[in-house]
Amino acid sequence: MTDFMMLQRRDALKSLLALSAAGALAACVGEGKSEGSAKKLSASPKLSASEMALISAMAQTIIPKTDTAGAVEAGVPAVIQSLFTEWGDDNYRTYWRAGLDNLEQHFLKSGGQAFAKMTPSQQANLLGKYDAKAYGEAGFDDFYKSMKSTIATAYYMSEPGATEELAYEAVPGEWRGCVPLSEFPKTWAT
Amino acid sequence: MADFDVIVIGSGMSGGWVAKEMCERGFKVCVIERGREIVPEKDFTDFQEPWEHEHLNWKSEQTKSEYPIQSEVYAFHNYTKQFWVKDNEHPYIVPEGQRYKWRRGHHTGGRSIMWGRQTYRFSEIDFEANKKDGHGVDWPVRYADIKPWYDHVERFAGISGSMEGLDIIPDGIFQKPHDLTCAEIDFKKQVESKFPGRKVIPGRVANLTEPTAEQIALGRGKCQARNHCFRGCSYGAYFSSTSATLPAAKRTGNLTMIHDLAVHELDYDPETKRVTGIKGVNTQTNEGVSITARTVFLNASTIPTAMILLNSKSDSMPNGLANSSGQVGRNLMDHIICGRASGRMPGNEDKHHYGRRPNGIYIPRFRNHTEEGNGFVRGFGFQGWAMRANWQGSSNTAGIGEAYKAANRKPGDWMFGLVGFAEILPNFENHVRLHETKTDKWGFPVPILDAKHRDNEIALVRQAAKDGQDMLRQAGCTDVSGADPETDIGTPPGEGIHEMGTARMGRDSKTSVLNKFNQSWDVPNLFVTDGAFMTSAGCQNPSITYMAFSARAADHAAKLMKAGEI
Repeated sequence: MTDFMMLQRRDALKSLLALSAAGALAACVGEGKSEGSAKKLSASPKLSASEMALISAMAQTIIPKTDTAGAVEAGVPAVIQSLFTEWGDDNYRTYWRAGLDNLEQHFLKSGGQAFAKMTPSQQANLLGKYDAKAYGEAGFDDFYKSMKSTIATAYYMSEPGATEELAYEAVPGEWRGCVPLSEFPKTWAT
Repeated sequence: MADFDVIVIGSGMSGGWVAKEMCERGFKVCVIERGREIVPEKDFTDFQEPWEHEHLNWKSEQTKSEYPIQSEVYAFHNYTKQFWVKDNEHPYIVPEGQRYKWRRGHHTGGRSIMWGRQTYRFSEIDFEANKKDGHGVDWPVRYADIKPWYDHVERFAGISGSMEGLDIIPDGIFQKPHDLTCAEIDFKKQVESKFPGRKVIPGRVANLTEPTAEQIALGRGKCQARNHCFRGCSYGAYFSSTSATLPAAKRTGNLTMIHDLAVHELDYDPETKRVTGIKGVNTQTNEGVSITARTVFLNASTIPTAMILLNSKSDSMPNGLANSSGQVGRNLMDHIICGRASGRMPGNEDKHHYGRRPNGIYIPRFRNHTEEGNGFVRGFGFQGWAMRANWQGSSNTAGIGEAYKAANRKPGDWMFGLVGFAEILPNFENHVRLHETKTDKWGFPVPILDAKHRDNEIALVRQAAKDGQDMLRQAGCTDVSGADPETDIGTPPGEGIHEMGTARMGRDSKTSVLNKFNQSWDVPNLFVTDGAFMTSAGCQNPSITYMAFSARAADHAAKLMKAGEI
């Protein structure tokens, strides 16, 4: 890898991590934010069962089980719990908690029940609309985009995500600069 | 009777070479490393799989607070932090309003463990540059003097590259080059036809693609295209002190390695005008240590080498050892990382790449060479690459469910990136000095790193910003963006991690610290062969030049020692 590629990777990482900074907290308060989130949030250093249920349901809706593992089978929720409890600081935890609460309130309002309790098709329908809005309207819900990026990263770096869904070679043995796509049709996990 | 024939201070890129060459010539050599001993089985993390990375390999706020400077380095990851210093234990001072990024690791092999491995020879054009445009002093050597030593070190180290016949970066002893990707082949055709003075070539890199019998005998193997180099390589496939020079030194039976010993000063005998050894501190026990030798090589890396000389004050050398010229610590140089440009390269939708290349492309300097400068002297080269984007480029976009999975599974567009490395001129004002009262926890004065980019550097940075984007556009890239040619100031001094120049060689003892054999003018049994000796910086990644001069200086010192002159 050239110095440059590593620099680019560093930049990408920086922009991801910037989301955990205190300053980014304000940015997550977009139009998607409902009134319910003004309540006092838990200070527990661990995501609760209901928070985990919401994360798992959203992760599996974004990356469902197909002929390969979905996000839950790949262990994505556990990675998020470990980021939350072991990796993040208070700012990060507040950011996630407020963002999750906002999503929960939104789905309660639009779907009449907790997101995790809905049928898969209702989940796909509501989350699909929310996702389109989050990526279509600047500032609608930056937390959602950050969460989705975390889910995707945890999935594509997982063993089933990297080796079954995508292509991965621990020890390629050689470099070939120009090969037919038909021979290597999947993107490289890394 | 001295403890050793030779003391080598520092086990990194250049110190490893001195150790090998002197041990192979039959001298008893003591290599002193200020950092800890690397244990490859424990320290190398090259077999860690993506799903084994702690916390998605993201750096926590805690890690960043422990390593505020080092954690910004491209090669710093959760799984490589063992190779970088904890910044709070190794303070340095930067004058108000200035910037300096000092990136370093203290362990066996130093930064030869984490280096970028790009390897380009200096040419006659570089060795003549100071004389021609009047900056700094004239190099006391020309390409013909160093060419055999480039051959010598390349043959041993193992460099992958292509023969191109270019005068700006002379060909060398190469193992087969890494293929260009399909998009890079197109880019090469376009650039070379639209800019006849420019060349696009495979990067030259110190990774074995065709290991020789000599390399295999040292336990080194072929590069496996994993691109995990900066984690340490269990195959020994890239050149480092630990994979190559130190094992070669060790097998002679003449090597003694001492770790955890920070050298504070060199002992000097004014009657014989010789150094007699070193004084230092065991960094684990704080115990003082003295070791003697007939000859001393300073390979502590550019900044610490100057610090040790400046700290070795005596009545006869009040300005520091080997500093009658007043040039020790001066002319601190680096390369400015600049001219970043990126874009999408259309075409080749039916093509892909296999493996992970620890390398990319290189565009050698063309400004003030095949093309005019623009009110500046010297130039810059570009590194770059074109590869298909993967899920990292597509996953943070709209979409959910099976369609989202399918979109992320498909290789993305060919993305092209370029980054320039610009030359910094030797300037007396850019320097390292020692703080008068502040010390680190072992009692060594804290350095002040006082350097900044000046008019010529900024002009190069702006031109690189223009030229990089221009090449991408002319080659047919879309969505081209990059550094602003009107306002960019490049990365801060130090960021290139190519510090050099603080004990320059020259033709005159009044204006330089070292003679043409890296030997101190003032102290004949003292040699400096790390980046400190560099008289100018070129724009090429400098390690191979440090290696060549180290081997040459060791050969010269050995001859003087055998003749009884030192």
